[in-house]
Amino acid sequence: MAINIETALKEAMTSIEGAIGAALVDYTSGMALGTVGGGKDLDLTVAAAGNTDVVRAKVRTMEMLGLQEEIEDILITLGTQYHLIRLLTGRNGKGMFLYLALDRSRANLAMARHQLKTIEGGLEV
Amino acid sequence: MTVDAEVAKELQRLRARVPHLTGVLAATVDGFVLAHDSATPETESVAALTAAALGVGMRLTEATAQGEFRELLVRGEQGYVAIYAAGPSAVVTVLAEPRANVGRLQLEVRRCSARIAELVESTLGRTAERR
Repeated sequence: MAINIETALKEAMTSIEGAIGAALVDYTSGMALGTVGGGKDLDLTVAAAGNTDVVRAKVRTMEMLGLQEEIEDILITLGTQYHLIRLLTGRNGKGMFLYLALDRSRANLAMARHQLKTIEGGLEV
Repeated sequence: MTVDAEVAKELQRLRARVPHLTGVLAATVDGFVLAHDSATPETESVAALTAAALGVGMRLTEATAQGEFRELLVRGEQGYVAIYAAGPSAVVTVLAEPRANVGRLQLEVRRCSARIAELVESTLGRTAERR
């Protein structure tokens, strides 16, 4: 079933244990198409712009390595948080990624990754 | 150090921080160049056009009751032109390639124009005191 951006982000925030912020980001421009959660400790606009550089750097690195592959997701582990980046695969989602920040003490990484994949699969941009 | 030199330093810092910028320019709201750092030779005309665009932008925000003018982003086929208010008397114009990270550009230029606003305003304050 197709779900829209707001619903997908809300679902990520409510159904994924430990979620503290989520955003859908266009990495051709570095701007967020939608955000939920976050706050003064986690500015999702800054996260969108910054993680755009992360995704672009990885894409470029793979090009230089001659890898004919697609990025499925990127995990960044911090002391107290997990940051999960999942690239959209649908025909309308090209050039976009879902960004999810998790509280490391509450999150189940395997479960979160699985749930984010399901949400991404149903997302209609 | 003169205010122009300090503004120029801010612009250089901006160019170093944001990839894919092709030019940055600080001007007064009436179109005089304060400082610039760009490869393009048409600085004067860009400053003049900035002043004109700023005028339209200000009237637009006023007519639609959106408050003070903050910024204006124009996207062309070959890149972006962005204009940011830097206090009441100055403005920062940025040229960027199409692949620029606009989200990042906005964050960095907003910070930069706030600092340029402080520099320009403090100088204007000093000149007014001397009179």
